[in-house]
Amino acid sequence: MIERNVTYASGEQKKVYVPLTDICETPDTYSLKMEVPGAARENIDIVIEDDELRVTVKAAAEDTEESLKYAEFGSRDFYRAFRVGNEIDRNRIEAKLENGVLNILLSKTEEVKPRKIQITHN
Amino acid sequence: MYNYNLFDNMFQLKGLFDDFFRDGTYEAASGMPPVKIYSNDDRVIVKALVPGIEPEDIDMQIIEDNLMISGEKKSDYTGDTYIRKERRFGDFKRSVKLPYRVNTGTVKADLINGVLTITLQKSEEAKPKKIEIN
Repeated sequence: MIERNVTYASGEQKKVYVPLTDICETPDTYSLKMEVPGAARENIDIVIEDDELRVTVKAAAEDTEESLKYAEFGSRDFYRAFRVGNEIDRNRIEAKLENGVLNILLSKTEEVKPRKIQITHN
Repeated sequence: MYNYNLFDNMFQLKGLFDDFFRDGTYEAASGMPPVKIYSNDDRVIVKALVPGIEPEDIDMQIIEDNLMISGEKKSDYTGDTYIRKERRFGDFKRSVKLPYRVNTGTVKADLINGVLTITLQKSEEAKPKKIEIN
C-alpha cells in the first residue's frame, strides 16, 4: 500500500493510500481501473473540476469489536487526482464498483475523437 | 493524444497530483495480499486485501497454526492501448502465522468489496479458562 501526504480541497491534510491505477485509451474513451479494497459505494466521491479528476474514498470505521493483533495496512482514505484536459466530456462519466476495483469510464469530446478526412477532388 | 497543458511550464506539479498521461507510475508492493489479524477470547479474524480477485480464484488452507491464502489474480487487460499500468496480476501465495491454534472445522470466509474476511474459532486449548478455587 503506497502512502502519501495530501491536502484536500477543504484544506484538510491527511496521509492517504494511493490506489494503484491502470488507464487505457480507445478512440472514444479513457477507462480507469483503480484498486480500492474495502471501499463501499457510498464512501466514494468522484469529482471533476477545472482540469482535475479527483477520486476520494473515505475510510470505513473499523467494524469488528475484536482487538487488533497485527496489521500491514491501516484505516486510511484512498485519494488520487489526475490532471485531465478539455478532451473529456464532463457530462458523460460513468463509474462502477466491482470487487474492490473502481472502474471509471470517461468519454472523449467529439472534437478530439479521431476523424477520417475525406479527400475532395474535382 | 495530449493537449497542450498550460500548467506544465508554470509549476512543478509532480507530487501534487498525477498527470493522467505521464510519469509518476507507482509500483505495486510485494507481500500480496496485505493482512490484518484481530482476535478476542473465542475467535481469530484475518482480513486480506484482494481487489479484483473472484471468490473462485482464492484458495485457503490451514496447516497447524498457519493460514495459507493462495490463488490467481486474473488479468483484466483488454486489447486497448494502456497509458498507465500499475496493477499486478498473476499467482499469489501468502502464509499467515495465526496467534492461536484454531478449530479447522469451523472456518468462515467472506469476500466483500475486495476484502477477504476469514473467521476462525480458537481451538478449545487456546481459549482462556477460568480456574475455580476449591
